[in-house]
Amino acid sequence: MIVPIPQRPLRYRLGLFSLAPILLLLGLLLFFPPDGAQRSDWAQFIGGFHLLTIHFPIALILLVPVLEVASRSRRFQYLLPVIEPLLVLAFFSVIASAILGWFLARSGGSSGTFVVQHMWAGFFVSVLCWLGWMFRGRFPGLRFDIAYFFGLAVTVLLISFTGYRGGQLSHGANHLTEHLPGPLRNWLGVSQEHGPTASTPDSFFAVRVEPVLQQNCVACHGRSSQKNGLRLDSYEAVMRGGKSGLAIKTGDFKNSGLFQRVSCPPGSEKIMPPQGKTPLSPDQIKVIELWISTGASPSLAANAAKGVSAPARPAVDVTITEIDDAAVAKQRAPFANALAEFDKRYPGAIEYESRDSSRLTINASLMGSNFGDSDLADIKPLYGQFVAADFSNTAVTDRSALNLAAMKHLRKLRLMRTKITDATVLALSGLSELESLNVFGTEVTPAALKTADHLPRLQHLYAGETRISANGTLPVALKGKVQF
Amino acid sequence: MPDSEKIDQDALTHDSAPIENSSAAAHPEEILARLQAQTRRHFLRSLSAGVGSMFLGSMALKYASPVEASELNIDGTPRLAFKRDPTRPLSVLPPQFPARAKRIIYLHMAGAPSQLELFEHKPDLARLDGQDCPASFLQGKRFAFISGVPKLLGSQYPFHQAGQSGVWLSDRLPYFEKHADDVCFIKSMRTDQFNHAPAQLLVHTGNARLGYASMGSWVTYGLGSENQNLPGFIVLISGGKQPDGGKQLWSSGFLPSIYQGVQCRSHGEPVLYLENPQNVSRSLRRSELDAIDEINRQQYAEFGNPETITRISQYEMAFRMQMEATDALDIRKESAATLAAYGSQPGEESFANNCLVARRLAERGVRFIQLYHWGWDSHGSNAKEALNLGFMDRCREVDQPMAALLADLKQRGMLEDTLVVWGGEFGRTSMRENRNGAVMQFVGRDHNPGAFTVWMAGGGIAPGITHGETDAMGYEIVKDPVEIRDLHATILYAMGFDHRKLNYSFQGLDQKLTSVKPARIVSEVLA
Repeated sequence: MIVPIPQRPLRYRLGLFSLAPILLLLGLLLFFPPDGAQRSDWAQFIGGFHLLTIHFPIALILLVPVLEVASRSRRFQYLLPVIEPLLVLAFFSVIASAILGWFLARSGGSSGTFVVQHMWAGFFVSVLCWLGWMFRGRFPGLRFDIAYFFGLAVTVLLISFTGYRGGQLSHGANHLTEHLPGPLRNWLGVSQEHGPTASTPDSFFAVRVEPVLQQNCVACHGRSSQKNGLRLDSYEAVMRGGKSGLAIKTGDFKNSGLFQRVSCPPGSEKIMPPQGKTPLSPDQIKVIELWISTGASPSLAANAAKGVSAPARPAVDVTITEIDDAAVAKQRAPFANALAEFDKRYPGAIEYESRDSSRLTINASLMGSNFGDSDLADIKPLYGQFVAADFSNTAVTDRSALNLAAMKHLRKLRLMRTKITDATVLALSGLSELESLNVFGTEVTPAALKTADHLPRLQHLYAGETRISANGTLPVALKGKVQF
Repeated sequence: MPDSEKIDQDALTHDSAPIENSSAAAHPEEILARLQAQTRRHFLRSLSAGVGSMFLGSMALKYASPVEASELNIDGTPRLAFKRDPTRPLSVLPPQFPARAKRIIYLHMAGAPSQLELFEHKPDLARLDGQDCPASFLQGKRFAFISGVPKLLGSQYPFHQAGQSGVWLSDRLPYFEKHADDVCFIKSMRTDQFNHAPAQLLVHTGNARLGYASMGSWVTYGLGSENQNLPGFIVLISGGKQPDGGKQLWSSGFLPSIYQGVQCRSHGEPVLYLENPQNVSRSLRRSELDAIDEINRQQYAEFGNPETITRISQYEMAFRMQMEATDALDIRKESAATLAAYGSQPGEESFANNCLVARRLAERGVRFIQLYHWGWDSHGSNAKEALNLGFMDRCREVDQPMAALLADLKQRGMLEDTLVVWGGEFGRTSMRENRNGAVMQFVGRDHNPGAFTVWMAGGGIAPGITHGETDAMGYEIVKDPVEIRDLHATILYAMGFDHRKLNYSFQGLDQKLTSVKPARIVSEVLA
């Protein structure tokens, strides 16, 4: 039984007064809707608290029907007076969260159907809360009770919908269905078309599309920052989409958000990467267009899509600076004597990278089995200078692993047809500058590939005639970089 | 000089044999005999030599060792020094700046292959096939054989798109097309020579006249060679004939002759006369060489001629090559699978075998490997030179091996620092050749210096792109022309050199591969 509370005048005054924030919110939503543009950092910072505060009113509102039902029983009747303050609290916290949400959407660069739906659903939740507060228990009779409970049910449904859209905005469009087990998925009829899967290495996506995204998009749409809830750092993430919905419409590049944004005319407000940053080249846009129009596949072979030529370098006058002999000599001085000694011992094997450099290269491959672990250990004073080292065909073994790992500036390391194993490759994980690693014709196994995760600059891994098979699965970091 | 002196000495001792035996040194009879032995020739010789040496002596003060004399190039910029230990003339020198390519494999298609049957997809030309060529095509042009008004000739082979770059290729290179995305096509090459020999000289020495240093010599001069047991610059020939430019194409010109190309053979003895003669053991050979070296060293001490040092090091290298070259050029050591991939038949002279040898040499640190494959001069004057017959054979001969070479280099990680260049010496006309104004029995095209295609792959070159463009008939360049000297400058840039700095003082010039006209590094094709 709902008992009328004898403080109507206060409630009316408060109720009328609290129409003001509702109208304020309505005005904001109507006249300053989120338009996808980014605004001040302060506003974005404030908006960030939307995600923090929003769970409070949700809990409060969901508690109302629970308490309404519970207080019907004698045991919990004492809870009855809590309900109205609960509604008041819920209403004000909904309003506060909604205004924070507006800050987030308006200033954080959000737009799209998901945002609009989330926004209006949230607004109507606040209206429903206000109505509940105003009219709860005001009129006696079964009819009104039914209407009230119907209203509560609508509120709960609406808040669920708002929450779901909110989840999609922050965690991606298919955050709920993503890991839906197959049978359940079929039973529910949820399409698997965009069910995210990993792309295969050497696929068009891995070889052509991903590098474009990595170079141009991932700074803002990646692990550390996800503007508009969108991540573009993996096939899964690209297909998941962001706050504005799916970024890719399979087979239809013209209606895919990703393509639309990168292909905007320069100077347009919507162009991505945003104004002031380098726009994608026509070739890069063409790569994305082709990928989407051929089905946005994770596994389409890299050479299956035709008509994308690699980006050409611009026509420039190549300038070559004169060598500052004195400066170079100064840089070389600390190890010049050591180098002269080694040159006597291994004539011509160790040489400067160039006349304008103090970095060294070593090619021991022509010495064959005459060069081994002890020789490698002997040249230790020069380790820090090597940028390229070729120990192919030498007698170097795993015993040199740590010595190789000490060549911190290596960009290119060739260990073709040596006795080295996984142990050496795994020891190389500290070579942060390594771009090319050659273990052709060794006994290296797929277990050694883990090391690639720690080699941020690695572009080429030559693994022909090893135990690594072209058919095996490769770590994501090695996509398109392994040569068999 | 020394030889003739020796002969004179012999003559002298022979003529005056009885007097030589007398013990008295200053015996008047001896003096008389000596004077009698002096002929008018001796007098004239010593007179002219004396005047000549006085002249040379005066010049020497001014021009002795010009390379060392100046620290500056003629244009006033600092000169790069290429001084080496004279006994190690092939020792490695670092490039001017960090290089993307360490070595070059140059595949020259001697005779000039038709770009219109391989790389240039021109549907409009096919549409106009058989029609009279427009007068504008002929104005001011010189042709080797075309006369009167020739007919336009569409491609003899269908074209399709290959690779991801979608580059148009004809159906003649089915193996190569798998590497379409590894290759950079330059479709706007041009030359100013329309005959084979000068055009080949221009491609390889930067000059259409004889006597200049070839690209391989320049690169070996600039960088030396990593393997001291093999020449730094090796030439391999197939197709049954030498290129028209002959051995001048791998000449060292004015550079010391240690840098000239050494022609090796892919069948029989790899290098002629390298093996010891019958019954001469390696140790006997060694002691013989030691004696010769000693004499040469004395001679060098006396005259200081750098060519003497070259000769010493050539002898020494030949001795070391007896071991190393035999191994490097023996493709029987490759697996059956590799031989099959190249289409190699050990023991014959073929482009396939040469490609495989090229890979083996590249692995052994040879700096510049030059292949020539003859037979691309598709005039249509006989079946072998016909676009619809012999041309197909040429394509078959090169297609599989060059694709296998690219695949091998790529697999071994060597494409990163090996630059592969493929091309002829000029292009072929969009018109069908009509020798003597008549319709010929076979289909052919005449020489076209105005446009041809070269492709490059590997070290420092952007893969999967096409640079430059010709008109709808494939006759003239409409976009981004690339001169031979521009190509040279670009190649040298990939090897780590400013083409102006890789020079050699000779005849009052800082001689260089790109010659005297300004050359441009084609930045668009650089990776």
